[in-house]
Amino acid sequence: MAKSRRPFLRRLLLPLLALLGVAVAGVGIYCYYLDRMVTRQFEGRRWTLPAQVYAAPLELYAGLALSGDDVEQELRRLQYREVEKLERPGTYRRQGSRIDVALRAAQFADEARPAQVLAISTDATSITALRDSKGEEVPIVRLEPLLIGSIFPIHGEDRIVVTPDQVPPLLPAALKAVEDRKFDTHHGIDPSAIARAMWANLRAGGIAQGGSTLTQQLVRSYFLTTDQTLSRKFREAVMAIALEAHFTKADLMNAYINEIYLGQDGQRAVHGFGLASQFYFGKPLAELDLSEVALLVAVVRGPSYYDPRRRPQRVLARRNLVLKILAEQGVISDAAAKAAAKRPLGVLQRSSGGYYPAYLDFVRRTLRRDYKEEELTQAGLRIFTNLDPRAQESAEQTLEHELARLDRAHAAAVKKRAAKNDNSQPLEGAVVVTTPQSGDVIAIVGGRRVGYNGFDRALDAVRPMGSLVKPFVYLTALKTKKYTAATIIQDEPVDVQLRNGTHWRPVNFTKEVYGPVPVARALAESLNLATVGLGLDVGLPNVTRTLMDFGLSRKPVEVPSMLLGSVSVTPIEAAQLYGGLANGGFRTPLRAVRAVISADGKPLRAFPLEVSQVADSESVYQLNRMLELVMERGTGRAARGVLPPNLVVAGKSGTSSDQRDSWFAGFSGSHLAVVWVGYDDNSPTEFTGSSGALTVWARLMASLHTTSRSPPVPEDIVDVPIEFTTGLRAAPGCGEDVVTVALPVGSEPPFKPGCGPNGAQGFLDRAGEWLRDMIRR
Amino acid sequence: MNLRHSSSSIALALAASLLVACQSLVGPPVSRPSPPPSQPGTPQPAPGTPEPQPQPVPPPPPAPTQPQKQFRLSSASAALVKQAHAQSGKGDFPAATATVERALRIEPNNPLLWIELGQVHLAEGNTSQAESMGRKAVALAVGDPNAQSAAWRLVGDALRIRGRVLEATEAYQHANQASPR
Repeated sequence: MAKSRRPFLRRLLLPLLALLGVAVAGVGIYCYYLDRMVTRQFEGRRWTLPAQVYAAPLELYAGLALSGDDVEQELRRLQYREVEKLERPGTYRRQGSRIDVALRAAQFADEARPAQVLAISTDATSITALRDSKGEEVPIVRLEPLLIGSIFPIHGEDRIVVTPDQVPPLLPAALKAVEDRKFDTHHGIDPSAIARAMWANLRAGGIAQGGSTLTQQLVRSYFLTTDQTLSRKFREAVMAIALEAHFTKADLMNAYINEIYLGQDGQRAVHGFGLASQFYFGKPLAELDLSEVALLVAVVRGPSYYDPRRRPQRVLARRNLVLKILAEQGVISDAAAKAAAKRPLGVLQRSSGGYYPAYLDFVRRTLRRDYKEEELTQAGLRIFTNLDPRAQESAEQTLEHELARLDRAHAAAVKKRAAKNDNSQPLEGAVVVTTPQSGDVIAIVGGRRVGYNGFDRALDAVRPMGSLVKPFVYLTALKTKKYTAATIIQDEPVDVQLRNGTHWRPVNFTKEVYGPVPVARALAESLNLATVGLGLDVGLPNVTRTLMDFGLSRKPVEVPSMLLGSVSVTPIEAAQLYGGLANGGFRTPLRAVRAVISADGKPLRAFPLEVSQVADSESVYQLNRMLELVMERGTGRAARGVLPPNLVVAGKSGTSSDQRDSWFAGFSGSHLAVVWVGYDDNSPTEFTGSSGALTVWARLMASLHTTSRSPPVPEDIVDVPIEFTTGLRAAPGCGEDVVTVALPVGSEPPFKPGCGPNGAQGFLDRAGEWLRDMIRR
Repeated sequence: MNLRHSSSSIALALAASLLVACQSLVGPPVSRPSPPPSQPGTPQPAPGTPEPQPQPVPPPPPAPTQPQKQFRLSSASAALVKQAHAQSGKGDFPAATATVERALRIEPNNPLLWIELGQVHLAEGNTSQAESMGRKAVALAVGDPNAQSAAWRLVGDALRIRGRVLEATEAYQHANQASPR
């Protein structure tokens, strides 16, 4: 038996050897394959670079209404640091009314600007002069645009790639000291570190410490999944050795700094120290100080376990441990470590970090027409937008604050409603702010939960516009030249038989009938019956035409109820429509994006300002004067108590049937804002456009640096005082309830009886003016 | 020609003012606003069809109440316009457009900037935008004869290049009436 075993073993040995040979060859081939794969991929490595999106840069010039404090606030928004003595870019020094700034190098849509020093002189209200480092006056300088986000792909990997010269030398030193002490000498793996880790794990009875080199971590992040299996460990080691054989340490360190995962923001995964620096501190990596670098190095070990925003205590302890290690390793002095350990984390709260999903949504939609998704998420484009961070913040805060107030004010009704509907959806809202002359969309709020990437009401809530439509009915009437602001129209019961045989009998909000009223009053008080009469007289197709000319995207169903706002629009569409009014009858397509440039700074696409005249200046001027009356004494008058006393604005409230939608749209000389308030499930609210949306609108307008309306008075148009109730011509000191309307020369209404003598006075005035004019010629 | 124009406008102004004055004295009999006199300030071109008889444009009665103005560029705008001219000169119209737009964001109501922007569009061959910018400038330039004139000239140039000669002539006449040169 023993004899027969031997040949059997010998017979077995041969295939075993063969098998071993095959296995070795297999492993060899596998290693070779890994080597080739890792080398090729690494060599041709191009991180997918999500497009970076920037806000509008702040233009500084003499005369700009920014005080020293305002300037300082803007610099802080860009994370400029106040210092005693100006040093590197990203710092400033304030001495009373003078602020010296070391501006960072910046890429704009049209040029790259090197870092430079700027001296800003201010007085109590505005900038008085700008000077360069030589003391020469400069007319205009831009601050660099605030990075507001990026368009990252579905898998959510977002990063900002940095080159070695943009990395503070402390960072690689700290990474080596904490994560991989033998980085400079090992060949990809560090057996002593592995042994140390194994010992630690054995003692801890589980995996407590990793012995991975930076190269292994890089491989893991770049090529592999994170499951902890033996075969993966093997592959990881082979690939790390392969990388080390083919690439320099400097290359690997740079790759590590750009690759590694450092945080999560919803679906967005923060990769690389470049983005992490922006994400946690809002400034370039190069500007981080010791404590900030130490914090990022602390986060490397586990971005969710060491989340600086959620676990500040834990992160503080680890950061200080990092500082201690750095001192022990001789990277920094003990004193520096101790000083840095005393500093707070210094991490930005998310809200001020600037994440504007509704605005980015609009940017994305604009660009989707021109770019493929991959181009946006991978090609490293830079997108320059019109977002004004100040206006955006105001809009967010005002909406949030006012909706909370409205909820409180109507708490009883809200409770009743919740009990009845068995749901307690919060009141919602949306805001769009533009600068109408340039068509820039400068702020969008898509809902109450700011920073929450969900249903974007500003772009997607299609709601009946209610009385927001009325200015376009009145404009259509003015354009016919048959009507003026002083024309008397009838506010009387309306009964329209519809095509299906039913009757439409609208009523006024107050359920009253007002009889003969001047056009200006009918609009200011938003009288439904007078408006329907007027609209039917000028014709529904003409009203439709006006709306389409001003930018309504869907042709409305031409039924009489459209005159009272059965037409549905989104808030952004309402902003487009009112933009044409604010702009004196010129339509300017709204723009979120100014320009797109490539990763290397070449201009790719510009979105220039476009205008087209859609209504004559005279009619629009007359209409806007009436919309100013809305604010002075009509449905918008509640705003007076909130707005600065002398600010001239024009606007219109809108309330849809059963008060499901509360709208306000209005404009000053420089800004236009549209506010919508309502419930997502379309249930009725407790208020009208005036009591709901108007309060948001007024507080928002009051918070913006905005200017009064002062449009040029077209030739052939004169301002005429009339009685608000009778439409008769009044005069200073004569007539009751006198308002000023704009009328075409020659269309002035008759004087109110008794105001005659003033008529003579008027003649003398005119003659005097005429004479003066003749002499001046 | 120019001389005759201004003397006739003086006469017209006289007549118009007297008329207005009388009206105020007597108390206007109008119960319904009479259609306003033809408004040469805003010719509404019918697209495609040439205006049959645009020639005799009645000189508009100079509005005696309009205060005289003179628009100027702020120093920031002036610097940007200078830069835009350089960019335009090199044929880089998109950059020039963007530069004038920066100035327009600072002074959106300054007709001179709309004229500048229109000039860039004209140079790059975008005549329809050039015309629109010109009209926008006309609307803003009320009271400043020089700016009015320049704005109308821009409108005229844009129309002429598009072959709308009659409308262009009309625009040039407005330009001359605003400020004879």
